[in-house]
Parts: sequence; structure tokens; C-alpha cells
Amino acid sequence: MIVSAVLCPSPPLLAAELSGSDPAAAQLREACSAAVATLVASAPDLIAVVGAADRTETWPEDAKANLSAYGGLARSDVTHPAPLAVGLGALLLDENGYAGPRLLRSVGYDEPLSGCLDLAAEISRSAPRVGLLVMADGTARRTLKAPGYLDERATPFDAEIQRAISDADLAALHALDRDLARELMATGWPALQILAGAFGDRQVSTKVRYADAPFGVGYLVAAINAAKE
Amino acid sequence: MTGEPREAGPLRLGRQSFDVHRRLVMAIVNRTPDSFYDRGATWHEDAAMERVHAVVEEGADIIDIGGVPAAPGSEVDVAEEIRRTVPFVAAVREAYPDIVISVDTWRHEVAREVCAVGADLLNDTWGGWDERLAEVAAEYDAALICAHAGGVPPRTRPFRVAYDDVMADVLDRTLALARRAADVGVDPARILIDPAHDFGKNTWHSLEITRRLDEMVATNWPVLVSLSNKDFVGETLDAPLTDRLAGTLATTAVSAWLGARVFRVHQVRETRQALRMVSAIRREIPPARTVRGLA
Repeated sequence: MIVSAVLCPSPPLLAAELSGSDPAAAQLREACSAAVATLVASAPDLIAVVGAADRTETWPEDAKANLSAYGGLARSDVTHPAPLAVGLGALLLDENGYAGPRLLRSVGYDEPLSGCLDLAAEISRSAPRVGLLVMADGTARRTLKAPGYLDERATPFDAEIQRAISDADLAALHALDRDLARELMATGWPALQILAGAFGDRQVSTKVRYADAPFGVGYLVAAINAAKE
Repeated sequence: MTGEPREAGPLRLGRQSFDVHRRLVMAIVNRTPDSFYDRGATWHEDAAMERVHAVVEEGADIIDIGGVPAAPGSEVDVAEEIRRTVPFVAAVREAYPDIVISVDTWRHEVAREVCAVGADLLNDTWGGWDERLAEVAAEYDAALICAHAGGVPPRTRPFRVAYDDVMADVLDRTLALARRAADVGVDPARILIDPAHDFGKNTWHSLEITRRLDEMVATNWPVLVSLSNKDFVGETLDAPLTDRLAGTLATTAVSAWLGARVFRVHQVRETRQALRMVSAIRREIPPARTVRGLA
């Protein structure tokens, strides 16, 4: 059963070696790290990392992000390259000193909603107490300088994700328009569906730790915990 | 794959021929109200022609006229791009019968119109997005720049682009474009390749292609670099748009040392000086005057 979850975005600059001293990137990393620290501290039997990628797949437990593809130095310890979002989730676990069991799953950009929910259920069954780290991004069209340029629909789209999580209304994430998400370059849609299904009908408490778009891409960092029975 | 290098030879542009040691300066003249560096300074035709006079005076070899900014923004359709570029190309040709005129466009419709009024070179920065552009170059015996944009559509920004080996991708794509251009009839002596810094690349990628530019030069296709005041310079130095000249010139010097032959720039005079320094260091030209310690 999933007992706690953390949501983080998955830009390559989450890896400090790629973005250097950029202060906005550093602030985002700190927020992600602090959120993941709470996930580790919740002492789950296992932490599952989920991120969107080309296809739905399970990755080896020691898979890592291949940062050299983004300009980082080639590293010999990347024996099993993971997709970006999954690899960055694994990196956050490593940076927080998490050495327990981990399950690395990608969910395909085109995975239907039913497949996302099946995956959420499967992850939930993987241990009595599962911590879930969802790596999912908002839109990439928030500003004129955004990777995808400005689209006026981007800010309200991201605001609805934030509202759903702030209000502990995770089911509302299912209502996010997938086609619109694609138009707005919101790559995190399928991973958000897994978060939406992670707690079933249980009550949750949530805390948004970061919500901004310093580079025109919507980043949201939040912690979600099952309410005490 | 990259195959055997071709034989190095002169670069032919318009009626001129430039041997392999010549380093050419291509001056940017934008016919846009919103390009990233000049912000519409040469949007009006009079101002644009003034800039042409100025850059010719400063030693530009090539005038590169563009009607569409690289960044996303308000739509510029074919008709509008033609309206912005064609009369101006004709005017520059009339004023300077021998200067090499380049037009920065990815559209074959625009290419046809500018070649008809005297353009010598088609600067296809978006990496062969419109396959018919090369056919127009062949038809008019124009030169063609085969650039690497990573396969992204025109006027888009890179979003988490990743390469197993960025230079390998640059070589694969630009050489494929060059070979295809030659196959459709573009004079091989009129084909250049361009790694296209910042296009489909993050700053790490742009730094790497600079560091490894000799791999492009080794193909013996003439290499053009477009570095001027770009974001990779800004990010490397944490410098705003107005403070990127030193970084641009440093990158220019390194690229020239590694064998780039054409430099597309905003600051012609400063670039010319940097390139003359490199040429003198390589002993390809003598210093202008030498009396120090010799008197």
C-alpha cells in the first residue's frame, strides 16, 4: 500500500552538475531534496519512482540518468541508463542517502489512463508500506522565454494541477485534458495519473513545497500522505 | 556515417572564390522587428541599408539578410518573409554588385524569390526542414549552408534535448544534407556546413561542438559558425545580451584556430580583428606593421 508520495519535476537541471550555480535551479533542487527527505523519513519498505518516458517499463534497481546525453561528463557507473525522469528520481534518492529497496518504473507518454491506474495498483501491491516518488512536469509554455513559447492556457493548466494537490483532490488530476497537455508540452501527464490513483479512495493530506516556473516550465514539488486511519 | 573526407578546396560564393585559408565575415542584417540581439534596429529599410554600408566599410565579406527571427513569436508567413527580404536583397545587389549576399531562410518559396534578385547563398539554419531549398540552390547555382538543428521544427527552442554524441549527430545530419545538396545539383564548391550553436542544443552541447569543431573541419567541407552573442555565451559567462562580445570573440578565435572559415556576426570590426590575430598567429598573414624591437 502506498503510504506517502512526493511529486517533483524532472528537468535535466535537477542534476547540479548540469546547471551549475543558477540560483533558481538551486532553489528547485533544495525543494525537491527536502521533499524527498520526508519520503525517506517515512520509513517505507520500498520506494517506487515513476516518471514518464517513451514506454512503460520496469528498470533495473541500479539504473541511473544518463547525464552525458545532456552535456554532463560520461560516467562509468551508469551501467543501466534510465529515462530522464526515472533517472532523476533515482538521483534524488541517492542524494538523500536512501539505500533501501527501490522500484524504478517508467510510464509511456501514450499509456492510456487505464494502464496508468493498473500501474498505480501494481506499485501499491509491491510492499506493505510503499513510498512513491512521482517525477512529473507541468507545461513548458508558461512565458515568452519558455521552451515552447507562451501559451495563455499554460498557467491555468498548471494552476489546476496545483489546486488539485493543494486541496487533496487527487481525483481531479484525472480530468486534466490529455490533448491539451500535449499541446502545452506538459510531459508529466501520465505520471500524474499514477499519483492520482495512488491512494484510491483514502483521505490524504498534502503540502505544496514549491510551485513556480522560473524557466517557463511549470515545476511543482509536493508531499502527499495517507491520512491516519 | 561520415565516410571519407572530401578534398579541401576553395569556397565559391557568387562570382568569388575563397581559398581555404581565408576567414570570411558574414554580417547579420535582420529585416525583423524582433530579432534577439538587434531588437528591430534594422527593421526599416533605410536603417538596414545604413547597416550594410557600415559593415561593408568594416570589412564584411558576406551580408546575411533575414526576415524571420529564430525564436518563436508572431507568425511570419511566406508572403511576409518575401516582402521583408526580396526588395532589400535587390537594393543591396544594386548598391554592391560584387558583395556576397546570403539570405537566412528555410523556405524554398522565399529562396526562389531572393535568388532571382541576386542572392548568392541560402543560409538554411533549420537544417533542411524544407527539402526543396537545396533544389532552388541548384537551380540558381547558389551556395547553401547545411546546418544542424537537431531535427526540430523551425522557430522552436530546445526542450531537454539529449544526444548520445552531439558531434556525431552534427556530422551525420550536416554531411547527409551536404551530400543530398550535391546530389540534387548544388555545386559542391558552394556547400558549407554549420553546427548551429544553440539550435536544438543546450549550452553544454554548444560548448562541446566548439571544442570538437576540428572533427567538422576534417571533413573538408567549409565550416561556418554562428556564435554571435548567443545564449550559450550568455549562460557560460552569466552575461546579459549586451555583454557577450568578449565571449563571442573568444569562441570565434577558438573556432578559427580549429579551422572554421566563415563567421556569422553582429560585430564585424571586432570579429575581423580577432580573425586577423588568429591568421597572424598561424602565420597565414603578416602583421600589419612590425617595428617593435626591430628598429
